[in-house]
Amino acid sequence: MMRVLCVLLPHFPLACELLKSPGLKDRPVVIVYTRGSQKLVLDHSGGMAGLQRDMPLQQALSLAGDAELVHADMPYYQYSFGTILDLLEEKSPVVEGAEMGLAYVGLDGMQLLYPEDGILIGALREVIPRTFAARIGISVNKFLAYLAALYSPVGGHRVLEDGLEDFLNEVPCDVLPVSLKTRNRLRNFGLRTLGRVAVLPPGPLQSQFGPAGKRIWELARGYDITPLYPRMMQQTIEENTTLPAVAVSLEAILAAAESLLARIFDSSALKGKGILSFVLWTRGWDAEHWERSVRFKEPILSVRAALTRTRHVLESFPQPGPVEQVGIRITGLGCGVDRQKSLFPEVRARDHLLDDIRQLEFQMGGPCVFKIKEIEPWSRIPERRYALTPLDR
Amino acid sequence: MVEDPGKALRAHAVRPVNVPRPVYVKEDEHGLPAAVRLSRLQTVAAIEDRWRIDDEWWRGAPLARLYYAVLLDSGQRLTLYRDLIDMRWYRQRV
Repeated sequence: MMRVLCVLLPHFPLACELLKSPGLKDRPVVIVYTRGSQKLVLDHSGGMAGLQRDMPLQQALSLAGDAELVHADMPYYQYSFGTILDLLEEKSPVVEGAEMGLAYVGLDGMQLLYPEDGILIGALREVIPRTFAARIGISVNKFLAYLAALYSPVGGHRVLEDGLEDFLNEVPCDVLPVSLKTRNRLRNFGLRTLGRVAVLPPGPLQSQFGPAGKRIWELARGYDITPLYPRMMQQTIEENTTLPAVAVSLEAILAAAESLLARIFDSSALKGKGILSFVLWTRGWDAEHWERSVRFKEPILSVRAALTRTRHVLESFPQPGPVEQVGIRITGLGCGVDRQKSLFPEVRARDHLLDDIRQLEFQMGGPCVFKIKEIEPWSRIPERRYALTPLDR
Repeated sequence: MVEDPGKALRAHAVRPVNVPRPVYVKEDEHGLPAAVRLSRLQTVAAIEDRWRIDDEWWRGAPLARLYYAVLLDSGQRLTLYRDLIDMRWYRQRV
């Protein structure tokens, strides 16, 4: 039988924010993120009754009107969580980062290294910063290990292996890993505890909730066959830049993205591969985070090929406000297919010129040929109207 | 064959164009530009236009400038502004 350990870092985004700004401690805080055109709750301070993750901001404000709003700094949270996962991996080879603030550690085969659970738990606690007040749970599958961690004492641990039925009967349905909408529907049906769900036949649940209905029914009975997905070791290629001035125009953001892509293509990190997908993110002047995934049908090998799609994404999903920082994180690489060179002499002449410029830049150690690009031609501030960007590659 | 200089090749961030340059301006008793030092000190013959820009007041570093389009004795036209935050003079093409 599988044994899983769950490390739960409650209110992880809030804990990260407190590390950044200790002044927020003891103040009612709601951390907000943007999904499409909606602003949703990511996390909040303790003692704010009724607030839930993914709740629309308007609804949250009606419950906690005096709360201080903080825009989620996703790259910082992801970086912090990634660091914790790295540290956990020093103790166990099988570590899954399920979501921010929630990790699973496989215990199978660890008895030789850690003869008792307590020794492993002690080793894991050593590497997790105390600020995060980690809760640890052990059980026979991921869902039960999560519940064990959730119901463990603060900073303590709980092993959940016996008396599962009695335990699950009283657990509220809010713990189920389903959408807020599904949780609300369960509540509307009067299904407030897992015990109430478990006694139902699976058919009606499936007819109401589709495939999620079957999973809800299984989880309510303590069955979870989801395997552990250990983290894949991968090299992260990320570049970001701070704009010379806060910008609202598409051209300014696109120019920054172009310069970042040029950096990535010029670095040796791609090892000759093409880009299949990347995440484009921006950070607003008020620290608001925006990000979108940009995917390609086939790996792209040039900045120009990436820009058309990037422009389309930027046009389709407008920025929530003025932008100060732009970043690109490569999420997928693939072997690119080279194309036959153009038969037209003028196109080939341009390619030759670009080749010469590239060689010159390589020799000089930096870009030396730029083009002037319109950024905000309407701006009242003269230095914001145009910018120099590296020549097309 | 180009020799590898051993430097990392990086296309740097977007560079602004037409960045304001500090300039020495002699003021008259009303605080208006009376002379400008380019290669030498040149007297301002006329102030042809004047306008003010206040922007980004919602940010930590607001922007407040008082621009002057001036005609110098030599016949050269120039745009100057006084930064109302650091109270220094700059020249810029507009």
